Amino acid sequence: MAAAIVAERLSKIYRVKVRDPGLRGALAALLHPRYREVRAVQDVSFEVARGEIVAFLGPNGAGKTTTLKMLTGLLYPSAGSARVAGFRPWDGGPEFKRRIALVLGNKQQLLWDLPPEETFQLNQAIYGVPPADYRARRDELVRLLDLADVMDKPVRQLSLGERMKCELAAALLHRPEILFLDEPTLGLDVTAQEAIRGFLCAYRERHGATILLTSHYMADVTALASRVLIINRGRLLYDGALQALVARMAHTKRLELVLGDGVTREQLAAFGTVREFRFPNAVLEVPREEATAASARLLAAIPIVDLSIQDPAIEDVIRRAFAEGP
Amino acid sequence: MRRWLRRYAALIRAAWLVDLQYRAAIAIWMLWNVTEPAIALGIWWSIAGEGAVQGFDRAEFARYFFGVALVNQLALAWDAWYIDRWIREGEMNFRLVRPIKPVHEAVADNIAYKLRTASVVLLVWILAALVWPPARLPFAPGRWALFALAALLAAAIRFLNGYATGLLAFWTTRATALMELQFGVALFLSGRLAPLALLPPAVARAAHLLWFPYVLAFPVEVLTGAVTTPAAYLRGFAGQAVWLLVWWAAYRAVWTHGIRRYGAVGG
Repeated sequence: MAAAIVAERLSKIYRVKVRDPGLRGALAALLHPRYREVRAVQDVSFEVARGEIVAFLGPNGAGKTTTLKMLTGLLYPSAGSARVAGFRPWDGGPEFKRRIALVLGNKQQLLWDLPPEETFQLNQAIYGVPPADYRARRDELVRLLDLADVMDKPVRQLSLGERMKCELAAALLHRPEILFLDEPTLGLDVTAQEAIRGFLCAYRERHGATILLTSHYMADVTALASRVLIINRGRLLYDGALQALVARMAHTKRLELVLGDGVTREQLAAFGTVREFRFPNAVLEVPREEATAASARLLAAIPIVDLSIQDPAIEDVIRRAFAEGP
Repeated sequence: MRRWLRRYAALIRAAWLVDLQYRAAIAIWMLWNVTEPAIALGIWWSIAGEGAVQGFDRAEFARYFFGVALVNQLALAWDAWYIDRWIREGEMNFRLVRPIKPVHEAVADNIAYKLRTASVVLLVWILAALVWPPARLPFAPGRWALFALAALLAAAIRFLNGYATGLLAFWTTRATALMELQFGVALFLSGRLAPLALLPPAVARAAHLLWFPYVLAFPVEVLTGAVTTPAAYLRGFAGQAVWLLVWWAAYRAVWTHGIRRYGAVGG
């Protein structure tokens, strides 16, 4: 089966005007404008299969959103090519746009002064959704996203979480094959984040949609995506399973301990690096391949009430991947 | 066709519902739009006195400026400010992923706003004409039909002019300043402050080389009966047709090239 998304050596270079601060800088920029090239995305290639959920990870300014915007046809690439749902995004026209949805965490399409239902009805007309399909899809989305209580309130009176749920519903009424989500949980509290994640999983299960999302929240990634794309300074650094990345990047294991009476920090330090010590709890970091042997030696040498061997936190692994490359 | 009618009906409905939330603001904009011709009428009224200024007596000034208020309301163009904001603040993003061009939303907004506000201006004119004879127009259905066509073309020219100017925000942060400049020039050259016949002949001739007279003075003169000969009608409508094509071509060119430069600002 053809891939839902194919990006081949996509690049985007922005030409940015530079000016020195102050009035003199402003005048100089007026008379002799200077420009600098910013390589937002460089030679990024990947494929996403139909029905797959893939997360784009990277620090601010890494090129995630720019890539998403090229794949949805908002931006013309400086080089490279892409096919999304079988179309070239930037000249796919209405047929292409009916097959995708883009949700931007910090920009909304909802009509601010009116209840969300009004935006839904507008989108029904714009996308040409037949009335019976519209009612069925709206009811399904209202149920899955738990929106019944907010349907008659003006959008401006909704909480951030309620607004984001309505944004998702508005973007999905035309039943797109491919969803592009840019920071869909940005600024939401934990409950709202979980509601969005649960919904996205359920939606994918029901309709087999392909989802490409960017997020800063590791919980989004671990809950939703089996595969991650790591991008930094415009370059794709890693494309693969999250667990494989953890195994590759994590050179250590964490021994999480509950200590018996009288054990000191100094005693533990003989077995590895003490990361945390708050008696009776402690965390010891040891080289990955020595984890089992170190545990056995610990148990034999000092009183231990409980011991568990853990991978390092995913956030730490990702942070290291950004800094060093995977 | 039916799909487009449904889309436009939905866009106009949404625009009306949003307008209802801003009743006071819209009333103030409308008031401003009729205040300017009212002030101009007051000035010319007192200058004319009991006589006439180059053939314009008080009643003719009254009809002219009532016409200005109506046509100005019908052909008002605020789109440049919206488009500029859509482009600079990233609000164009979701509009570009919809299966219709953003221009349709702007056209529907115009239809919604103008149907409502122009009908209020028309109502005020009818009420004024009932109690104030100088504001009355003769019953002439043929002329009114030609006026409707001229007003529609004027609205289309100003819309495309404003939309294309707004789209310059793809290149510059000064798109709205360019629009304000055009507003300033239009004050004189479109006949907003005085009928073009009262301008110095050289200025009036220069005005007719641009689109300004065709978006205000010409439709007003059709309505008040100042356009009398078939040749004058032909010249006016031909001028409107030419400027409609010019601004249509400008819109197409700016859109096609601008969209490739779009930076999709913000999320």
